Amino acid sequence: MWWRSASFILDGQQHQNDGVAPNPESALLSSPSMADSALNPKSNVSAYYQTRAAHHAVITSDWLAQAQAATDDGDSLGSEAQIGGKGEGSGKAFSVIDEFNNWRKQPDLAEAVAAIRALAAAIRKSEATTMMELEIELKKASDSLKSWDATSISLTAGCDLFMRYVTRTSALEYEDFNSAKSRLIERAEKFGEISCKARRIIAMLSQDFIFDGCTILVHGFSRVVLEVMKTAAENKKLFRVLCTKGRPDRTGLRFSNELAKLDVPVKLLIDSAVAYTMDEVDMVFFGADGVVESGGIINMMGTFQIALVAHSMNKPVYVAAESYKFARHYLLNQKDMAPALRPIDFGVPIPSKVEVETSGRDYTPPQYLTLLFTDLGVPTPSVISDELIQLYL
Amino acid sequence: MHPAVYKVGLQYLSGDIWGGNARCIAMFQAFKEAIKDYSTPPEKTLIRDLTARISSYVSFLIECRPLSNSMGNAIKFLKNRIAKLPLVLSESEAKATLMSDVDRFINEKIIIAEKVIVKHAVTKIRDGDVLLTYGASSVVEMILLHAHELGKQFRVVVVDSRPKLEGQLLLRRLVRKGLSCTYTHVNAVSCIMQEVTRVFLGASSVLSNGTVYSRVGTACVAMVAHAFRVPVLVCCEAYKFHERVQLDSICFNELGNPEAISKVHGREDINYLDGFVNQEKLQLLNLVYDATPSDYISMIITDYGMIPPTSVPVIVREYRREHLWS
Repeated sequence: MWWRSASFILDGQQHQNDGVAPNPESALLSSPSMADSALNPKSNVSAYYQTRAAHHAVITSDWLAQAQAATDDGDSLGSEAQIGGKGEGSGKAFSVIDEFNNWRKQPDLAEAVAAIRALAAAIRKSEATTMMELEIELKKASDSLKSWDATSISLTAGCDLFMRYVTRTSALEYEDFNSAKSRLIERAEKFGEISCKARRIIAMLSQDFIFDGCTILVHGFSRVVLEVMKTAAENKKLFRVLCTKGRPDRTGLRFSNELAKLDVPVKLLIDSAVAYTMDEVDMVFFGADGVVESGGIINMMGTFQIALVAHSMNKPVYVAAESYKFARHYLLNQKDMAPALRPIDFGVPIPSKVEVETSGRDYTPPQYLTLLFTDLGVPTPSVISDELIQLYL
Repeated sequence: MHPAVYKVGLQYLSGDIWGGNARCIAMFQAFKEAIKDYSTPPEKTLIRDLTARISSYVSFLIECRPLSNSMGNAIKFLKNRIAKLPLVLSESEAKATLMSDVDRFINEKIIIAEKVIVKHAVTKIRDGDVLLTYGASSVVEMILLHAHELGKQFRVVVVDSRPKLEGQLLLRRLVRKGLSCTYTHVNAVSCIMQEVTRVFLGASSVLSNGTVYSRVGTACVAMVAHAFRVPVLVCCEAYKFHERVQLDSICFNELGNPEAISKVHGREDINYLDGFVNQEKLQLLNLVYDATPSDYISMIITDYGMIPPTSVPVIVREYRREHLWS
């Protein structure tokens, strides 16, 4: 599990020179999330990918360096954390982030769902006495969650959709405050539940598309796609899965591990072998980090390539995405979005004059996608804009 | 015939007022004057008589120049407002209500809509961009000027075509404000498209299947841009959307003056068609509009936000609902 490489030493030196002081409020391994949030403002690395890495225990070299530095530091931030925990009336934003981090520690929970639960908790714990005040507090909490990681599309989308869903009831102005607040809490809980159940609904909807004897190609470690495969395996369908290796996160290895536990025949491919094996593939499955207004998806680097190959060979491309990932961005090309940088370890030291493309995700335009499996149904990509218009206008 | 309406009609005929928004606003100003001076004749009701009066004005304007889709939608709105007038209102109150409705329409659907479109569109302009535009669209001009005011560094390529040469007016206004521009003719668009990063186009109307109905030549530019994988952004206010579906440019169009294409103004030496104009077998076809299929359009920017061309029927549905209830 511990990945030693020569660049570990180089990276370690580089980051210690930055002088980061993470907060060691508990033992190193049990709170990777706190270390991540401290790491976030200092380097350009996207916190979203750090969380994914932390959940699946891929110890990157700079995380190791941080952990080492953390043991040397005293518990200077231990008391700070205590104070933050006590002052509920004062640091509102702080406690939302706390709540969020608490939820986020479960590896099975999507980030956006954790945010939704945290916002629901924020409403419950709010001390506001008027509707306006409550809405303002909620907006502040939502903004602080969004700014925690500005590159995560699903987080931003989830927060925005929550705000729209919860404050959309028109009768709020006419009721007295307490019943209005309890109604808000009810809607918030409902939204949280829908989001939690979204994966099961998607898994059920997609069963019709997996037939006996089919070969599925997957890319990246999507928990939704894993759920789809699990349900199919439970329904005793015979299918086999081809997994791309997914460098540099080794997502393919982890995914194939999970599938092997379900007794599903899995074959691993290197990323460059996708076109070679596309002939034997019946369908391609992706998850999504976010679904944009044009109907395209933002997903792990490599998705666009595979979608292009599948499209040119007339293989259907299916995307499994929960409805809280629909975002109001509209991308024209790859460079139109804020880059989410990810540390890439090549295993050998890179000469200093050589640049490395560290972007962690790419955009797949809607014409290469066949269908989207969402908890709202199985629409074609052009329906996303309709849903967003109806929700936001 | 009210003199204001007569004046506007003549201005359309001579080509002094052109462009979807300008024509619509001029028509509404003329109608406001007409409504102000209107008095119900005895034995008639305001609603029915005024509607008949407006219809007669509209037929006069059609004689001068066929209506654009935006004007059609605007007239439908006005007739709807007249029909919805409560019967208890006195004549002066009714007239005042109508005039304020017209003002509200112009303000909300045209002027503020343009500002919203500009706000959305400038987010898609980055430093180092080369933006191409065709002809002269009022909204695109506002977008380019606003982006320049915000300090973005970009170049503009203005593509123009005979016989109207509308691009020259746009070019003059841009150069005066200090933008760096390139001017070229539509024949060269495939050469220049290699350097272009974004194409901004205006529209006379957007139809329900996502087809953009705009000045003739727009379809060529969009097609070439698509072939070079350059994103095409169409900027159009929502009041110009129409439920009609059109598959090609011939089934619904406007014919311009055939003399305009046979003669080149100021170049007597190449007027080869002198004397040929009245031949039986020669038809001079001067189409004013053309239809760009939705596959060539990347995004439509409206006052409702940035939408893909497949979502136009959703906006038509939502917009009609709002406009009927308001």
